[in-house]
Amino acid sequence: MPPFDPQLYTIAAISCWMIALVLFAVPRRYTPVHFLAHCSYISGILILAAVAAILWYGMDRAPLRTLGETRLWYGMFLPLIGYAVYLRWDYRWMLHYASIVSAVFLGINLLNPENYDRDLMPALQSPWFVPHVIVYIFAYAVLAASAIVAVKGLILHYRHHEKLPELHLADNLVYIGFGFLTMGLLFGALWGKEAWGHYWTWDPKETWAFLTWIVYLAYMHHRIHRPGQVTGSLWILSLAFIILLICWFGVNYLPSAADSVHVYTR
Amino acid sequence: MNRNHKIRTPVWVPPWGYAEGWLISIGLLAVGLLLQVFGGGLNPNALSWPVNMYIALIFNGLLISAYLCAGNTPLVSWLGRVPAAICSITLVTLLVLVMGLILQDDDSALPWIRRIGFSSMTNSWPFLLSMMYFMAALGMATVKRIFPYRKKNLCFILNHLGLYIVVTGGLLGSADIDRRLMELRQGEIIWLASDDDGHVHEMPLAMELIRFEKEEYHPKAALIETDTHRIAAGTDLDIFEIDTAVSGNLGNWKIDVINFHSLSIPVDDRYEPVLDIGAGPAAFVRVTRAGFDENITGWITCGSFAFPHQLLELDDNHSLAMTVPRASAYRSQVMLYTPDDKPMIVTIEVNKPYSASGWKLYQYSYDDRFGRWSRTSIIEAIRDPWLPVVYTGVFMMLAGALYLMFKGKTRVNNVGYGKSGSMGPEMSNPAKLQNVKSIQE
Ligand code: HEM
Repeated sequence: MPPFDPQLYTIAAISCWMIALVLFAVPRRYTPVHFLAHCSYISGILILAAVAAILWYGMDRAPLRTLGETRLWYGMFLPLIGYAVYLRWDYRWMLHYASIVSAVFLGINLLNPENYDRDLMPALQSPWFVPHVIVYIFAYAVLAASAIVAVKGLILHYRHHEKLPELHLADNLVYIGFGFLTMGLLFGALWGKEAWGHYWTWDPKETWAFLTWIVYLAYMHHRIHRPGQVTGSLWILSLAFIILLICWFGVNYLPSAADSVHVYTR
Repeated sequence: MNRNHKIRTPVWVPPWGYAEGWLISIGLLAVGLLLQVFGGGLNPNALSWPVNMYIALIFNGLLISAYLCAGNTPLVSWLGRVPAAICSITLVTLLVLVMGLILQDDDSALPWIRRIGFSSMTNSWPFLLSMMYFMAALGMATVKRIFPYRKKNLCFILNHLGLYIVVTGGLLGSADIDRRLMELRQGEIIWLASDDDGHVHEMPLAMELIRFEKEEYHPKAALIETDTHRIAAGTDLDIFEIDTAVSGNLGNWKIDVINFHSLSIPVDDRYEPVLDIGAGPAAFVRVTRAGFDENITGWITCGSFAFPHQLLELDDNHSLAMTVPRASAYRSQVMLYTPDDKPMIVTIEVNKPYSASGWKLYQYSYDDRFGRWSRTSIIEAIRDPWLPVVYTGVFMMLAGALYLMFKGKTRVNNVGYGKSGSMGPEMSNPAKLQNVKSIQE
């Protein structure tokens, strides 16, 4: 029996963000309206946090096992990061994109309701399980924000021939996301040693995690070396996110993953 | 539009840049493929101790002396800069991408794919050469920042030297890893272990299985099609965990679990709880069809090795079934004999290996015909002498990752990239970048 039905709460969270976006569009001098917008946006995030907490409690295990469960966390972290970026650098468009992308991911969950079962195989019952997955999902959410910058930049460049977009933001996001990616990779290695006896086996999921990591590495070094070549950097950044998505969802479907130990329960 | 016209120096005229880097990448790939096709794959065991140690010494010695004695030659100064880094990263990425797309160690791969080594990438020449290229670039970039050491390079050194140590330890150490299986049985002291190739080795420790324990989650109730034993369409979200006094809906039926025994055996036409070998879960249920008053009652079980499963037929082609419970934990209690210690009882559990005499002992498997009643337990013993090296690098990288996140992006200013400061548009002028091979007209 599912501990409770997260669907309604998910819809409520998405609605909160949509209301907030409308309120944020009101000119800033209407302070109370903006205050409400902030409240509404934060409420959306808190509702999802509550969903995660209730599921965790109800199932007696961290809700991080299935793809749907990881999408839930992603749907929570992405608006959180969008909000942080908005507060820190005042990019309002970041709020829009973060909420929309998050809504898409949560929408996939709404269309594919899951059977929440408590079973967690022994290999996953490790103190590393939660930090490893949370750090990864957080990295994915930050890097999604950087991908949004990249796509926006490419559109500005090719459609509107505008001047160089804000790679400063992309760089900051990539540095943070890459740090989390590195931690996720290394936590996974330390865990692998305890659970399976080796820290790295070139399992398809590991292979793709490595690919994701190294393409962001290429982006960082390209930026250091050729700060002026913005379009190239933007393309690398977009490519990196595609690799990331393959690593997250696609690996399950690749021929190379026929006997991977990492495929999520679908 | 403000486009910079680039004037490129001819290839192979110093300072080298991307053109030379790509040519070297392609060259190494070609040489690697030729060696692979005509010389065959690599033997991963060729690197075992002490060969791997010599290789590490020679490689590191070459890097350092090349930097100290020939730092100004085009090759050496190019190796330590970003173009070499990106070109080598790209080559490694391509090969790993191939590895990520093609099933590895697959005997049914197409012959030509096997021939060029792409179905066992990590033992192939192209992979070896690309890793050497990568490590040479990474190593040279690191050496440059270590001699002379400056405090502001600490973050750089943690990241780059950390990665260098991890990869060196991982690649060179892999041939020294020993993995062996020990099959324990109750009442027998075992000190022999077999490796992947079936060779039997005497171990410096011995073990005797005292007890194998397995815990299970509760089984679940599912509606299946009686002929095919598949979950009935549209009900897979409704499957629910069985317990006494739990109810659930499966399709058009409401199921009330009246009684659940996690361990029981059949007695006449019912199931009685016992704690005996061969016991399995069973449940007594009442099923009511939506819109009807009468109900069906009966037992369901997934069976065990000692008795068969039992379904409850609901209509012509639907039955209620109990799924086989999944393991929530399994562990072995063993008496461990080591040369240095008195015999002692230790527990070896999944995710909780036990270390003794330089070996790590892992709960590997058990006799799954008997499940929780298995009287054998297979323990995997693993020795990895290079692990401390790899972990040193891992913790350097962890520190480096945290450092980098807090520090954020700063400008490199000791290599002529211009003033430190933000990444604003003023940095987009390549003329300020001394070691970039493009100038503005
Ligand atoms: C853990 C992975 C890595 C991280 C986090 C990292 C990070 C960085 C950072 C932040 C810089 C800027 C230098 C500074 O401001 O101090 C840099 C420069 C550089 N990195 Fe990496 N890097 C990594 C791996 C690599 C690899 C694998 C290579 C080579 C194959 C490489 C080669 C270089 C080079 C050549 C520079 C320029 C150094 C200079 O000009 O002195 N890095 N790296």
